[in-house]
Amino acid sequence: MWQEVAEVVARSLLISGTATMLAAFWSIPVAMILTAKESEFRRVLLDLTNTLVAIPTVLVGLVLYLLLSRSGPLGFLGILYTPTSIVIGEAVLITPLIVSLSASVLRETRAGIWEMAVSIGATERQALVTMVTESLPRLMSVILIGFNRAIGELGVALMLGGNIKGLTRVMTTAIALEVSKGEFEFALALGGVLLFVTFLVTAIVRKVGKTA
Amino acid sequence: MIELKRVSFAYANEDIIRDVNLTFGPGVTVVIGPNGSGKTTLLKLAAAIYRPRVGEVLIDGVNTWSAPETVRVSVRRNVVYVHEKPIMLRGSVADNVAYGLRIRNVPDDEVATRTEEALEALGIKHLAHEKAQTLSAGQQQKVALARALAVRPKNLLLDEPIASLDKSGREIFMELLREMVRKEVCVAMATHDRLLALQLMGRTIVVENKTATLIENPERIS
Repeated sequence: MWQEVAEVVARSLLISGTATMLAAFWSIPVAMILTAKESEFRRVLLDLTNTLVAIPTVLVGLVLYLLLSRSGPLGFLGILYTPTSIVIGEAVLITPLIVSLSASVLRETRAGIWEMAVSIGATERQALVTMVTESLPRLMSVILIGFNRAIGELGVALMLGGNIKGLTRVMTTAIALEVSKGEFEFALALGGVLLFVTFLVTAIVRKVGKTA
Repeated sequence: MIELKRVSFAYANEDIIRDVNLTFGPGVTVVIGPNGSGKTTLLKLAAAIYRPRVGEVLIDGVNTWSAPETVRVSVRRNVVYVHEKPIMLRGSVADNVAYGLRIRNVPDDEVATRTEEALEALGIKHLAHEKAQTLSAGQQQKVALARALAVRPKNLLLDEPIASLDKSGREIFMELLREMVRKEVCVAMATHDRLLALQLMGRTIVVENKTATLIENPERIS
């Protein structure tokens, strides 16, 4: 049984880690664009992003399910009920969170670092690179928050993954399954494992960030 | 030399600076005025950090904001603006001082030499390997000044440069200022310190009521 738990933990880490990297890959550049210059349009986009942070996971799951199901517009991809679909779903889910928090970090840095860089003779590009480099520790924290949200969500993993044993079962769907079976103690134990794993990842990232 | 021609600047649709005509020439120009009068904004406009709503900012004769990006960067590199609250990068004091040189692609050996010279000039060579962000406000102010000196600017704009400095720091600063005047660097300095303004006896710009007025004889300011 514990071998299965270990497998589920590993799968959760892999799926949520990949989803987080994917989301960070597009979210941070978007945040950079949103904070590059003040404009009404960008402010509206930021408000929209902040609103989407609160989107229910099950709603993201449902929308993506409709898109990816056999009769949906992306059904031809045949990725529903695979780890890939959970990766995509979680990446979409945490995108607004990473964009919103990264924009907040970069806006703060822009007021100081960007201006200092320009004032000493940096080009726009050099100033931007300096701004991002100086924000890295805080951006890593933002990415970590995204990862924690991804690994702890249930709606997307359940609707897009289907909780298939040995293929798409992750920590949260395993906990939900045990609850539905009335195995509350085991569900609680799995919850503890989930929290411990998340804590461990947080500690490692914090340590790496400090060293960097 | 920096010239501001009919420059206006607004925050949130409200003019902070209106129709200002000024020239920052060689020597020291002191910028004074009450809190919130726009001294910092004026210096940032002169440094081509802020873009004016209307008007022209000419650095060494080049109209900064209508020039192509490459030309703008090139002329802007003749100007350094030092913030009132020093902004430190992660890394050591030496890294911070070297920053302006590195973005100019100065060769490594020259970066090392000029960084050391600047640190020595400010009397902070012993802090070279300290983390800049952990220093006191006064020490950070010296690092910011060293960072500016290292790039040997033709125009140096200082915002409250001595606010955090102790007595010896002020003496070092005054000596550096004299040195820059000898080298015909154009220095503009916003300050609340009226004593310092009188000590320098340079040209004085009074920023008040959204405008800036040049007074050639600062003794008349009471």
